[in-house]
Amino acid sequence: MADHHPTSTLAADLRVVVVTPEQTVLETTTDFVALPLYDGELGVAPGHAPMIGRLGYGELRIGHEPNVQRYYIDGGFVQVSDNVVSVLSNRAIPAARLDATAIEASLQAAVAQPAAGEDQMARRDRAVAQSRAQLQVARGSK
Amino acid sequence: MANPRALDKRRKSIRNIRKITRTMELIATARFKKAMDRASAATAYTRRITQLVSDLTRTGLEVSHPLLEKRDEVKNATLLLLTANRGLCGGFNGNLIRAGLQRYKELKQEVPALRLEIAGKRGIAGFKFRGFQPEEAYTHFEDKPTFDEVDALATRYLHEYEAGQLDRLDVVYMKFQSIARQHVAVETLLPLGSLGAEGRPAEETAPQSQYEFLPSPESILEEVVPTSFKVRLFKCFLDSAVSEQIARMVAMKSATENAGELIKQLGMQYNRARQGRITSELMDVIGGVEALK
Repeated sequence: MADHHPTSTLAADLRVVVVTPEQTVLETTTDFVALPLYDGELGVAPGHAPMIGRLGYGELRIGHEPNVQRYYIDGGFVQVSDNVVSVLSNRAIPAARLDATAIEASLQAAVAQPAAGEDQMARRDRAVAQSRAQLQVARGSK
Repeated sequence: MANPRALDKRRKSIRNIRKITRTMELIATARFKKAMDRASAATAYTRRITQLVSDLTRTGLEVSHPLLEKRDEVKNATLLLLTANRGLCGGFNGNLIRAGLQRYKELKQEVPALRLEIAGKRGIAGFKFRGFQPEEAYTHFEDKPTFDEVDALATRYLHEYEAGQLDRLDVVYMKFQSIARQHVAVETLLPLGSLGAEGRPAEETAPQSQYEFLPSPESILEEVVPTSFKVRLFKCFLDSAVSEQIARMVAMKSATENAGELIKQLGMQYNRARQGRITSELMDVIGGVEALK
């Protein structure tokens, strides 16, 4: 049970479930979630219309400042219905556990990696995008 | 009559073995519980993915994806066999190797360009002994396969499949049904066949497409299909890990019981031998006394 905000007087709170293939990372209630969708960020508040969306690489924020929970999300899907937000992702890492210097190194490696052919280039682009998103999340947490 | 000292020595060594097997049983039990927890956590994910797919199909979307369609001509195939890294788990590895070998021979006749990939030292050694060299061997999948490790493998298969270097992927592994029941399963994971949720799409037409799709159902389907392949492969690895621990648990339990029985038997033999020796010594003494009279 996370933050209880004085302003959250709406009837229903939002239940957030973050699931990866290995474990259920998080199950909590809040009144606001920001999701990294495929092509931009999406904010979800209680009473949101049912929705299924494709996630990109980026930051999942739960709650309001100052007590906001932040996670790095590695693609996947989100399903919103009846005030339940289910996030299905390959990986969900708490922002505090990301190591900016290590990510920077892997970003450098990904950028420097030579790629020939379409699929190799796509792979490299994906690695670069992942590292950049991770870096952004890691830096934002400080 | 047997030598009582030798019998006693044997009894002691069996007692030591029993200690070891009992410990192994306890370790296997603890590991099994952990593996089981991981497997059930993965089930939560699979269930949600399946639900997502069924919501997708309810929109009336034509479910078609290159990964779902069977190819007319199978030129390249891969057989992946999941075994354990360690032995002492009853018939676990033996059964897998036997089933894998049979499948390998069958497939080899259908598809000449067949690649063999084996995970687990036992399987690699078993196939080597029978004169088959796997193209790819993995020993880094222990009793806790992580999704990242499986993901790397799955991504490679997907790339190969997309590039046309792979037309079919079969996996031989120990499927977990219940704690009392596991069996060897041979499954074709690529092409995927179905997403496992096309049961009754048109049953309730009223709440058709209550969902809003971002960016579009097609785009989501495009992402769901590879994900569900990855999850299925991951599930195979988890099942295999759980089954291995169960097999070891059972094997070590019966080994412990058997050791207990042997100890009982040897104890009886030892006592008899000792008593026999005492009796014969007594007879000697009595005989000597009689002779002196």
